Amino acid sequence: MSTETEDGGDELREQVGNFLRRNFPQIEMHGGSAAIQDLDRETGEVSIQLGGACSGCGISPMTIQAIKTRMVDEIPEIEKVHANTGGDTGGSEGMSGGSMSPSFPGHESSSGDADDDEGPEAPF
Amino acid sequence: MSDFDPEQFEDKYANYFPELQRAYKSAFETMNDRYDSELVHAIDQFVLNESEPFYEGDGQFRVELPENPYDRLQGVVVAEEKFEELMDRYEDELEAELQSVFGFEA
Repeated sequence: MSTETEDGGDELREQVGNFLRRNFPQIEMHGGSAAIQDLDRETGEVSIQLGGACSGCGISPMTIQAIKTRMVDEIPEIEKVHANTGGDTGGSEGMSGGSMSPSFPGHESSSGDADDDEGPEAPF
Repeated sequence: MSDFDPEQFEDKYANYFPELQRAYKSAFETMNDRYDSELVHAIDQFVLNESEPFYEGDGQFRVELPENPYDRLQGVVVAEEKFEELMDRYEDELEAELQSVFGFEA
């Protein structure tokens, strides 16, 4: 799982960090942060976590898309970028655990049975 | 006024990033003011993070959403019908903001 190897993992990590600072200064200017969560040199996959004010500021979707597209173009070693805001949409109650899945009774995709109003959380 | 160039828009994230951010942010703020903030945030974080704007010609933009946007939502409970309605409005708002940012009259 630890994916940094000695042959340049740190260098690539630095390259990714520099890329973010150079091309996306807005992240820090807006009080946000971008952390490299994981970097797999063999597969060329990197995971970026946007935090701080990035969550729910309205521009994180665009920023994420731009990072994904441009990093792959500009850093040859990077093949795929995973970027997210960790699901922490600070400020909205009920959104506290990012990994928490809501329980949709009978929630199955394309079953279309979720149309009985908007209060399905009370189990009968 | 904008010197919008459709060809430049092909590489939009390099050439028009600030404009795109402005459009997304304005749409987000409008939606957040008018509708259920929790749902608007969830759409922003879990659906729009995989969206992509395209220029269709004639001053029209289209925002392409990921597949099954409803299934991507996390942390909110909302009926699919209500979600679809809000999502449609959000798309319209985004497309209108893109037109405005790039100097096309909606």
